[in-house]
Amino acid sequence: MRALFILLAMLFSGGSALAGDLTVSVRDARGQAIRDAVVTVTPAAGVPRGPIRFSWPLRMTQEDLQFQPYVLIVPVGGVVSFPNLDRVRHHVYSFSRGNRFEIELYGRDQSRSYTFNTVGVAAMGCNIHDQMLAYIKVVDTPWAAKSGADGTVTLRGIPAGAATLKVWHPQLVVRGNETAQAVTVTAAAAQRTFTGDFSGRAAVR
Amino acid sequence: MTAGFTLPRLPRFNRLRTRLTVLYMGLFGIALLLAAVAIFNAVGSSARKVVRNEMTASGAVYGQIWASRSDQLQQGAAVLARDYGFREAVATGDEATVRSALDNLRSRQGVDGALMLGVDGYAAATGLNLDAPTLDTLFAGLDRDGVEAGVLTIDGQPYQVVAAPVMAPVLIGWVVFAERLDAAQMRNLEGLSAIPLSASVIVGANAAATDRGTAIVPTAEGPSMRLARPLPSLDRATPAALVLTYPLSRALKPYEPLFLSLTIIGIAGIALLMGGTWLLSLSLTRPITALDDAVHGLQRGEYVEAPVTSSDEIGRLASSFNAMVGDLRDREARLTHMALHDQETGLPNRLALERRAGAVAGGWVLLFGVERFEVVRNAIGYDSMARLIGALGRRIEALADGEPVARVGAGVLGLVVEAADADEAVALAERLVGAAQEPVIINGAPVDITVTVGVADRGRSGSDLASPVDRAAIALDQARAAKRHVAAFDPAVYGDPAGNLSLISELMTALRGGEVTLAYQPKYDFRAERVTGVEALMRWTHPRRGFVPPDLFIGMAEETGHIRPLTEWAIDRAIEDQRTLSAAGHDLLVSVNISGRLLADESFADLAIAAVTSAGARLCFEITETAVMTNPETALRIVSRFADAGISISLDDYGSGLSSLAYLKQIRADELKIDKAFILGLDQSARDGLLVKSTIDLAHGLGLKVTAEGVETPTALALLRGMGCDLAQGYLIGRPVSLSAMIERLAEQPQARGKTAVG
Repeated sequence: MRALFILLAMLFSGGSALAGDLTVSVRDARGQAIRDAVVTVTPAAGVPRGPIRFSWPLRMTQEDLQFQPYVLIVPVGGVVSFPNLDRVRHHVYSFSRGNRFEIELYGRDQSRSYTFNTVGVAAMGCNIHDQMLAYIKVVDTPWAAKSGADGTVTLRGIPAGAATLKVWHPQLVVRGNETAQAVTVTAAAAQRTFTGDFSGRAAVR
Repeated sequence: MTAGFTLPRLPRFNRLRTRLTVLYMGLFGIALLLAAVAIFNAVGSSARKVVRNEMTASGAVYGQIWASRSDQLQQGAAVLARDYGFREAVATGDEATVRSALDNLRSRQGVDGALMLGVDGYAAATGLNLDAPTLDTLFAGLDRDGVEAGVLTIDGQPYQVVAAPVMAPVLIGWVVFAERLDAAQMRNLEGLSAIPLSASVIVGANAAATDRGTAIVPTAEGPSMRLARPLPSLDRATPAALVLTYPLSRALKPYEPLFLSLTIIGIAGIALLMGGTWLLSLSLTRPITALDDAVHGLQRGEYVEAPVTSSDEIGRLASSFNAMVGDLRDREARLTHMALHDQETGLPNRLALERRAGAVAGGWVLLFGVERFEVVRNAIGYDSMARLIGALGRRIEALADGEPVARVGAGVLGLVVEAADADEAVALAERLVGAAQEPVIINGAPVDITVTVGVADRGRSGSDLASPVDRAAIALDQARAAKRHVAAFDPAVYGDPAGNLSLISELMTALRGGEVTLAYQPKYDFRAERVTGVEALMRWTHPRRGFVPPDLFIGMAEETGHIRPLTEWAIDRAIEDQRTLSAAGHDLLVSVNISGRLLADESFADLAIAAVTSAGARLCFEITETAVMTNPETALRIVSRFADAGISISLDDYGSGLSSLAYLKQIRADELKIDKAFILGLDQSARDGLLVKSTIDLAHGLGLKVTAEGVETPTALALLRGMGCDLAQGYLIGRPVSLSAMIERLAEQPQARGKTAVG
């Protein structure tokens, strides 16, 4: 249903009827696969209008005194639910600029939600449990995904033509933990490898 | 002390005592010094060990204090860093809230300064004034190096700094607490130590250079023990260290009384040892010193006895030395006596007399010579003669009021008398000689003796003879020659023998230099009534002395063996001069005097004969009869050889010396020359006339021509002519003149000269 929607969107976008797939392999300097890297592509021609939908649920679970998942990609304007599966209560907060929020103490099986209206990163913690940490990456393009255990990300159906490829990771040693590069998308499936320094520390606030 | 062990070379000491003292003192001093060094080292190392242990303990304590304080501060910082409100204030940039929170916690914790430092460089500080470079340093330490507790220099002052990260939930910065490491802090630390050490924190290159662990370093308070403990530093480029120091002098202070008493004991020990050694060596070396003094005395010619104080080696050495000195003294006394006494008679000898003469001022030396000594000695025997001389000496000694009489020669006795002048001395000598000539009774028989005395004073007037004894001996000879009993030394008679000796050495030079010439005296022939011969006479005109008497230099030449070259020269000269005369038209027989000494010299004869024959000269050799008598055999043979060679022989000075008719017969002479002593008295004495007349007749009887010498008056000449004399020579005929003058005279009146003179 959503694929159909994308297809329709592409069809509607006029001249560039062709679209291609891009697979990005994220590696550190030693060639080790990096997981949880967020790869986004923004075509120069712009993204389709309308709300963006992703295939994964917009949900940040607290279970066993940890956030789950570690990195969650959320479209701008997306509403994320925060179900607490632990016996204890949590006090979720983010001081990140533009995505500052606080969900005060709530208990087991209670769920709260928050709408992320600003593109960027929200680093989240729990005021009670210091070890709890997770990131919500708010994006404004439908072509976004995070790398798996093998470090690869595959984005499909990107309109052919010039585009901007961005890679974000909490430990990527660049300003804002995100780097961007210009790419040209073709109809054929393309393969790219991104190599970076992932020994850093998230500097986002 | 045998081989293999060598004492260190000691400086030279002139005294054994000093050497012993210095040696013992030196050895004790070394032992004492070694003991002192050992004690000092042991005490010092023990003290150092105590200090080192204490410092190590203090250092460990400080490490714990540092860590606990660091933890305490960090806990405080962490409380704030975890505070939700604070984190929110930081995250949202609420600086007022952040500062107030920092202030609040700072006062609660009692720290000097607090700071919020964001990872993006955001900084909010209270109680501290951090400039940009310090912030950069701090940020680098926290962010890059991950140091969360350490030393940081702020405003030139070291601070203990701790940091707690602010997680929101990722790291957004650090809460930093800083506590000044000031003097008060250090005093607190020092108070924890059991010993009064001083603590300080140093940063920078000094801290890096500081050795870890303990070391001894020089400080203002002298050598000090130092312990350095590295401290973590927030500035990678500026290491920090805690330094504890403790002056060793303070550590050694408790031992000072010990050192002082050790020093006093050492000094007292050395003083005691010095005194003891000095006394010991004094007793040990005193006999050696006495012996040394005695030896020195002996060297100076004194006879000193070394005291014998012990029966050990030194005592025996002293005894031996004394015995040796005694022997030496006896021997020297004997030698002295022998040196100064005549062994035969026991009288003093010549040396004693010389000394005596030198000792008595205004003294005169009288030498008594026993006449005909050898004759008397041969008559009575040696022993008796010795007794006679001894008796005579004692007699003279008694006569001279005990003045010692010395035996100067075999038959010569001498003594020194005091006299004002020569006359008084001679008078005294005459008085003594009169009494001394009494017969001496030897073996009960009286022996007659005659004594002659020579007198000389001890002055050196008019003579080069240094010794008055020598001069007295000459005076004795002079008295004998003058046939007198007493004679004082007469320098005029003595002449100048030394000068004459040098004259002879100059004679040979004079021969070559033409200083010696031949003068010619004419011989008048009564029958031919003209001069038919000349006698060559040697003349020497010395460049400095002038005319040297021929008797002097010819006599000296005979005595010194120089007569031969002189005569050879005269023969050569005469041959040459005869040739000159001949060339001038005068053929004259030239007579040359030949010394008796040369009549014993065959080689001279060879040379003379060769010279005459090769030149074809007509010479006459004048010799004396006495000369032949000395060695008749050789002399007669040589004279014969001369005669065989055609050389005329003339017997010179006939009648003056010993004349022997026996030799007159044997000598192959052609001519006899009557001594001028007879001719000069011819005018007055009839006896002389008779002697001359008979001599002429004797000579003619033997086939000899006769020449009269010393013809000075026409009367004598006439008398001689009447006696049948053949030739005349003398001042009347002509004085000796040079060759040129002779030629001149002969040329003037070649024939008439003789006649005129005769007439």
